[in-house]
Amino acid sequence: MEKVLCVDDDLSLLRLYEDELTEEGYEVILAKDGKEALAKFEKETPQVVVMDIRMPVMDGIEALTTLLGKDRQVPVILNTAYPQYKENFMTWGAEAYVVKSSDLTELKQKIREVLGKRKK
Amino acid sequence: MILAGGKGERLYPLTQDRAKPAVPFGGIYRIIDFTLSNCLNSGIRRVNLLTQYKSLSLNRHIMQGWNIFNAELDEFINLIPAQQRVGEDWYLGTADAIYQNIYVLQIDRPDLILILSGDHVYKMNYTDMIEHHLQKKADLTVGVIEMNKSLSRQLGVLQVDEEFRILGFEEKPEVPKTIPGYPDLILANMGIYVFNTEMLVRRVIEDAKDPNSQHDFGRNIIPAMTGNDRLFAYSFQDENKKTAKYWRDIGTLEAYFEASMDLVSIDPLFNLYDPDWPIRTYYPPTPPAKTVFYEAQPQKRVGCTYNSLISAGCIISGGEVFRSILSPGVRIHSYAEVSDSILMDSVDIGRHARVRRAIIDKGVKIPEGYQIGVNPEEDAAKFTVSASGIVVIPKGTILA
Repeated sequence: MEKVLCVDDDLSLLRLYEDELTEEGYEVILAKDGKEALAKFEKETPQVVVMDIRMPVMDGIEALTTLLGKDRQVPVILNTAYPQYKENFMTWGAEAYVVKSSDLTELKQKIREVLGKRKK
Repeated sequence: MILAGGKGERLYPLTQDRAKPAVPFGGIYRIIDFTLSNCLNSGIRRVNLLTQYKSLSLNRHIMQGWNIFNAELDEFINLIPAQQRVGEDWYLGTADAIYQNIYVLQIDRPDLILILSGDHVYKMNYTDMIEHHLQKKADLTVGVIEMNKSLSRQLGVLQVDEEFRILGFEEKPEVPKTIPGYPDLILANMGIYVFNTEMLVRRVIEDAKDPNSQHDFGRNIIPAMTGNDRLFAYSFQDENKKTAKYWRDIGTLEAYFEASMDLVSIDPLFNLYDPDWPIRTYYPPTPPAKTVFYEAQPQKRVGCTYNSLISAGCIISGGEVFRSILSPGVRIHSYAEVSDSILMDSVDIGRHARVRRAIIDKGVKIPEGYQIGVNPEEDAAKFTVSASGIVVIPKGTILA
């Protein structure tokens, strides 16, 4: 089963991701900030990471950069309410962007895309 | 962004304790001074110097000699060591050095980035190249120099059309693509790049994610961009103003020796004396050079130099020097004879010693009566001797 690591400081959103993505057939791992995400990444080696940007302890940009340093090929989907991050080249190492929403259709679509590309 | 992490393996033992850009050249300079002077003379005063290998000597030189930029005017020279901010690797290649420092670009977000190597000796006005880049509305402009095609196996060769649009790149090809209309000439990559910042960042990130890449601008980034982006070659316009364009990668002991000896010739290929193109360096406060003794009796004892570069602080005391480069603080004692040699800072040549075709690194003391470059077998047993017989005596050598 493919593993998805979801990183967000909003716990209710994490629950939502867990429910919906489990239903899609993924194994879902949760982390509440960048630092926890790095620890879980090491331990669980997920195939894709869904990353919020504004978080306490360690933000998503720093976590993204650090993650890419450990594994440059890992696909990271940035999941943010702030579209300006698309213009920020510190985040260009990410595979994709999704504007944060409680409707997960787009996010699910991107996860499928990214995993599909990876298999090729 | 100046890449100044070159190891200079083939300059060993001159690079035993220093990176290639920190290797002394021309008596008072370091190799990096030529690139930095080009920046200064081109009006470029925002400089990041990326270092990673044996950088102490280079850092010290920059702090001492190049701490001249004014922060109030938004000028800077930053020394940036490999920091392992991104992962645990050192720089894997030229493109990776930029990738690992994207955060530096984030701070200033310039429109254009000039990427240079700190390894070469030449005079160039980068502003002309930048203007060319803007005029052509290029994404990337690569600095090139025309070379004879017989040299292709030592160079990165660019293939261009009539308008100098880049069609391809080959590293050290056996059979190179020549310049349209000039079947004997090739365009060699000088490692000088003007990039639109956004394009640079996108391309180095893509490259970083490619597990098969060597993360090199020439080998990987240019080929990946060819056909997709607007790439132009810019023919190097030499500020040295001699018949032949001067651009040297002083990468081997032979090349180092040859380029140094050029400087002491009557009409050197590389002119250090052009007031319109000053070359800056760190020059410690030192007294003037001095010669002493002019005695015919009882034994000829004359302090004299011929066809040489003599830096400040040298004392030529009763010995003779021919066709040599003397860095600051060199002492030549009575009856000694030095010819065709490079003596770095504070080298001391004892009485009656003979030195021929040698490079003597900083602070080495040559004892009384010692001979270097006279007996090839003896030299080979004790020192590094280059293919053409140049003896190199590294820093810290103690001779008895």
